[in-house]
Amino acid sequence: MNPEQDVLAALRALADADRAKEAAPHVEVKLRRALHGKERERRLKRIAVWAMAAAAVLVAILSTYERRPRQEKAHVDPKAVAPLSVSQPVPVIANPERRIPRVRRTVPREIVTDFFPLVDVAPPVERGELVRVSVPATAMQAVGLPVREDRLSDRVQADVLVSEEGLATAIRFVKYSQ
Amino acid sequence: MVQTSDHDLLNRMLAGDEDAFTLLYRQRQGAVYRFALQMTGSVVIAEDVTQEVFMTLIEHGRRFDPARGALASFLYGIARNCVLRRLEKDRWADAELEDSAGEDDLLEDLTRRETIDQVRRAVLSLPATYREAVVLCDLQDVCYQDAADVLGCPVGTVRSRLNRGRAMLARKLKVRAATAGAGESVA
Repeated sequence: MNPEQDVLAALRALADADRAKEAAPHVEVKLRRALHGKERERRLKRIAVWAMAAAAVLVAILSTYERRPRQEKAHVDPKAVAPLSVSQPVPVIANPERRIPRVRRTVPREIVTDFFPLVDVAPPVERGELVRVSVPATAMQAVGLPVREDRLSDRVQADVLVSEEGLATAIRFVKYSQ
Repeated sequence: MVQTSDHDLLNRMLAGDEDAFTLLYRQRQGAVYRFALQMTGSVVIAEDVTQEVFMTLIEHGRRFDPARGALASFLYGIARNCVLRRLEKDRWADAELEDSAGEDDLLEDLTRRETIDQVRRAVLSLPATYREAVVLCDLQDVCYQDAADVLGCPVGTVRSRLNRGRAMLARKLKVRAATAGAGESVA
């Protein structure tokens, strides 16, 4: 035999002698315990993530609900209600009371007209409620606002001012601008 | 019985299947343990390394890419890093082994037919670079390509380290004197 073969034979003998050697059983026990702990930790993390996601959804829903435009309690100065016979151009003002929801930046801005009385002798209205309704465009014509003939059948949005007694006392019209 | 591949077992293990881990561990721990034992000569370190290797697999098993080699090579790679760290840390132990592996002692021991222990000592006295090539290719029967993957070097380098390691072993064992003892032991 040459020296290299001798070395290889010696190494084979060592390899054979070691072939059955293994780590002691306690190593496996420790590792299985570690795996078990890790799995439990992973399960807890998963639960925590789901809980956080659910909480986030809940917060989002609640905040959206909070931001939804509500029917407003309006303080109306009766003197500010325009006379029924008005025929001059109607000044259109932006309603400062209406909040634009932060999450809906693309929602068009509302522009409202002055109030037009719906009764001949309007009782003084200290407190009332605004109710958003959809009315035919002829209602605008009825209060003297100019409406094109071909749009008379369109429906328009309006806020009706209802007094505490439940009497509809005035109306204003709403249009949207981008 | 259908043999489940290492990769399947690993995937199941990573999904939390403890049985898959047990199976994988039992299939692969022996090689990892023997590699560490033959590299360090210490049962305690070999067990620590085995534990560390499989802990790493539990923690970072997703890093294994089957396209880059077999799981066995991946495990050897982790084991090698652990062993080299331990050798670096316990240099004194290495020096002690080196001292105890003097050629005169070897020859004397060989005549007492303690061949296996002396071959082990001779292997342990090799510099780590050559030792890992010898342990992987000659003791663990890992092919040159897989050994190159584990060691992070070209196949040619593995071959040259192996040749050099064997030559150093031949010198250490005083081959002619060892032949009879090793031959008997093998037989």
